[in-house]
Amino acid sequence: MRTEERIIAATNLTKRFPGGVLALDGFSLTVRRGEVVVIIGPSGSGKSTFLRCLNGLEEIDGGSIVIDGIPLDHRRKNRLHIRREVGMVFQAFNLFPHLTVRQNIDLAQVQVRRRTPAEAAAVTAALLAKVGIGEKADRHPQELSGGQQQRVAIARALAMDPKVMLFDEATSALDPEMIGEVLAVMKTLAAEGMTMVVVTHEMGFAREAGDRIVFMEAGRLVEAGEPEGFFRAPREARTRAFLGQIL
Amino acid sequence: MQDFVKRAMAGRPFVWVDGARFLLLAGIVLWLLTATDGTDYPWQWHRVPPFLFSQEDGFWTAGPLLQGLAVTLQISTLALVLSLVIGLATALLRLSGSCTARALARLYLELIRNTPLLIQIFFVYFVLAPILDIGAFAAAVLALSFFEGAYAAEILRAGIVSLPRGQWEAAHSLGLGAWPTWRHVILPQAVRRVLPPLAGQAISLVKDSALVSTIAIYDLTMAGQKIVAETFLAFEIWFTVAAIYLVLTFGLSLAVRALERRMAAAPLRAAGGVG
Repeated sequence: MRTEERIIAATNLTKRFPGGVLALDGFSLTVRRGEVVVIIGPSGSGKSTFLRCLNGLEEIDGGSIVIDGIPLDHRRKNRLHIRREVGMVFQAFNLFPHLTVRQNIDLAQVQVRRRTPAEAAAVTAALLAKVGIGEKADRHPQELSGGQQQRVAIARALAMDPKVMLFDEATSALDPEMIGEVLAVMKTLAAEGMTMVVVTHEMGFAREAGDRIVFMEAGRLVEAGEPEGFFRAPREARTRAFLGQIL
Repeated sequence: MQDFVKRAMAGRPFVWVDGARFLLLAGIVLWLLTATDGTDYPWQWHRVPPFLFSQEDGFWTAGPLLQGLAVTLQISTLALVLSLVIGLATALLRLSGSCTARALARLYLELIRNTPLLIQIFFVYFVLAPILDIGAFAAAVLALSFFEGAYAAEILRAGIVSLPRGQWEAAHSLGLGAWPTWRHVILPQAVRRVLPPLAGQAISLVKDSALVSTIAIYDLTMAGQKIVAETFLAFEIWFTVAAIYLVLTFGLSLAVRALERRMAAAPLRAAGGVG
């Protein structure tokens, strides 16, 4: 793979939590521009920890992360740059409750991207229309359903024009009837060529939108492959056991 | 129970009962303040008004009590603003990653909270003021600000740490720097959560400001003291002074309640947070 095609290069990551749990144990993953990588695995396998390491929410203890040619090291400038280029969607939405939907999406555009309020407003309006909640712009997050809140959170991340989007179990906190609307937005993004790393338990989404499925267990990569082959004929016994439990 | 509270706050069905109770209470107080039978104290309330204001040739002039009130207001307002600044700075130091900063903030808090305000006022006035070359007024404002600032710091810190971690993480992942995160995400939410205890602190400040009368500041309390010394109207004047403080602090609580209600219009409920 040529360097410029590679947008995420995570090599040999280790991460140990203060309690002594080894969350990442020599985990490596490379993501191409425009690729949708879906990470699956049992809980506690290190999937979320890996995502959180990618944008500096957690510190790695060993290995290296390079995003779009910039190493995630201890230089403040690099870290800030990476945070700005990597969007993240959380399980708990994490919208700002004191701001309206519109203000949630405007905030970082004005503060970080230095857009004028008018420019930000235009971007926000377009994104809200895209995720299908244009009419809720002046509501506060807690007046919205979970599915709507998560779509606002996606719009908020997209407003920064990120090069990569990370989804950390974005539908796990939602009522079943709302999962579909959020997955639909994610599928649209995938189809538009957004680079995405998605941690999820939604195998339907993985199969349909994923370019590559990665199965993690105990902080290690067990098996990776294209969805078709991965789900039809997993090579590893542990993968088969996991898929057997959830499918 | 909740219904009762709601109705009582709306103030409609209970207004007559409340009014009757209030009148009864007021009657008892009035009787106590004017009764001469049981006590030997000759109440002379009619001598009080001139100390509040006087009228000469159609011009109203503030009497010594109201002049003292003006000084109390000035000191309290300045100290309130300054104590919030000090409180915020200390809260941030307490939460900072630097050991030195945390230790410094801790030292300040323990020193201030574990010594009497009166002695702090003396210290600032008799020791610091000559060194810094400041007057009694500035010394009073400084002493009060540092005293109340210590309490404000702990209140603000509590509000800040009560926010869910997801708020910090969302700001982080959007690429917001430290300052915009504090300014637009953390502080607006934290301050809203701690508005009631902060208001209580502000009210304490107004009352605590009475102690500055000990360092030759002509505030409301000092004015009262002087009048009592000259006229021996001890109870009338002290009760009047207390009533003026009461009006001041009650007005302050009403203002804060209005502010809270306005902020509640923009509801506040983070995931896992409070309503």
